[in-house]
Amino acid sequence: MEDLKLKLKQQIIDSLNLQGMKPEEIDDNAPLFGDGLGLDSIDSLELMVLLERNYGIKIEDAREGRKILTSVQTMAEYIQQNSKI
Amino acid sequence: MRQPLYILSACSISPQHSYDAENFLNPVVTTDDGKLRITAPDYSKYISPVAIRRMSRMLKAGITAGMKSLEMGGVTTPDAIIIGTARGSVTDMETFLKDMINLQEEALNPTGFIQSTYNSVNGWLAMMTRSTCYNQTYVHRGFSLELCLFDAQLMLSESQDKKYILAGGFDELTDEYVIIRGRIGYYKEQKLNSLSLLSHNDTSGSVAGEGAHFFTLSNNPENAACAIHTVQMLLKPTSEAVQAAIADMLAQNELQKEDIDVIMCGMNGDSRSQFLVDPVVNDCHEHTTITTFKQLSGEYDTASGFGLWLVNYLFTQKRIPEEIVYKKGTSTRIKNVLLFNVTILGNVTLMLMTTPPARP
Repeated sequence: MEDLKLKLKQQIIDSLNLQGMKPEEIDDNAPLFGDGLGLDSIDSLELMVLLERNYGIKIEDAREGRKILTSVQTMAEYIQQNSKI
Repeated sequence: MRQPLYILSACSISPQHSYDAENFLNPVVTTDDGKLRITAPDYSKYISPVAIRRMSRMLKAGITAGMKSLEMGGVTTPDAIIIGTARGSVTDMETFLKDMINLQEEALNPTGFIQSTYNSVNGWLAMMTRSTCYNQTYVHRGFSLELCLFDAQLMLSESQDKKYILAGGFDELTDEYVIIRGRIGYYKEQKLNSLSLLSHNDTSGSVAGEGAHFFTLSNNPENAACAIHTVQMLLKPTSEAVQAAIADMLAQNELQKEDIDVIMCGMNGDSRSQFLVDPVVNDCHEHTTITTFKQLSGEYDTASGFGLWLVNYLFTQKRIPEEIVYKKGTSTRIKNVLLFNVTILGNVTLMLMTTPPARP
């Protein structure tokens, strides 16, 4: 799980071009949107593409997506249970 | 005569240090690889770190030039945003198309798609100025900027109230774009220093360039450095047609040939369009100084925007830098200036500019 979270953080940094940020600077439980990383709606689309491309996960229900994309922790848990790659 | 377009302020991001007008041409930026890329300023003043990480080079340049122009003109929210671009955000377009191929049209990133549209700079400027005004993008190759100015002129003609329009143009180069256009003869095959471009007018092609140039325009002359009176476009004209159009333009504005102090000439070093340039340069009055700009900006569809910025620079600085003088005339004043631009395809645009009327 820890390896997955570290890998996921690096993928988020690369995908969203978070220049100057390191994986260890992202708190596992900090909110991705709003106060935490301060991501926006376009970033949420990028994160959904990230999940589909790297883990074969397609999020089709927006409500479910909101829960999955809450934090690195929630994303990693969902990936562990649902990854198809 | 139509309503003059008064230029309140202008901002240019070009290969030269034009963003900081105080240090323009200090030093002159040149290239030997045939690609004059913009000298990027610090974008962080106008674009937040969250937004900037997603933006391509020219998106950042366009937004910054637009916002700075408004700031310099003292305008917070314009009455219209009108932009001309021939190619839009080419980098984002390429990113998106490459993703489509590499990922077989599955799971494509949205950012490249969203920002690849021609009007992304307009959209960003509207959001940043919280403006819901008239917002238009003109995409007409070498006439894109001119049509944008034409629209601005029509809009200001219709208004009795003071109005402020943010108008401008941008185009970017990428390596692939230069390869594709190079195949159809846009760029010189021989290696040369960009500063010597105009002396190589015996061979075809030019040097590739890029830039973003924005102007805060008004129908009110207060605080304006210069006024654009006429904008004219000529599609593949003969040299006689160019001469006739210049004569008509001067007559319409009650000017004689000798009244023109400066011709800002957009010759591009291409042997195929030199026949349009030579008569204008050779037949000008001895008063007139001929200046050039494409050895500094490179050639691209909205390069006339750099020429327009440079004319505004002459009016504001009240001097002509030695680096742009092609043929020195006897007149020392800068009152009436003709911008004469020639594109690779042999199209011509003309703009007549003067100092604004003196206050009563």
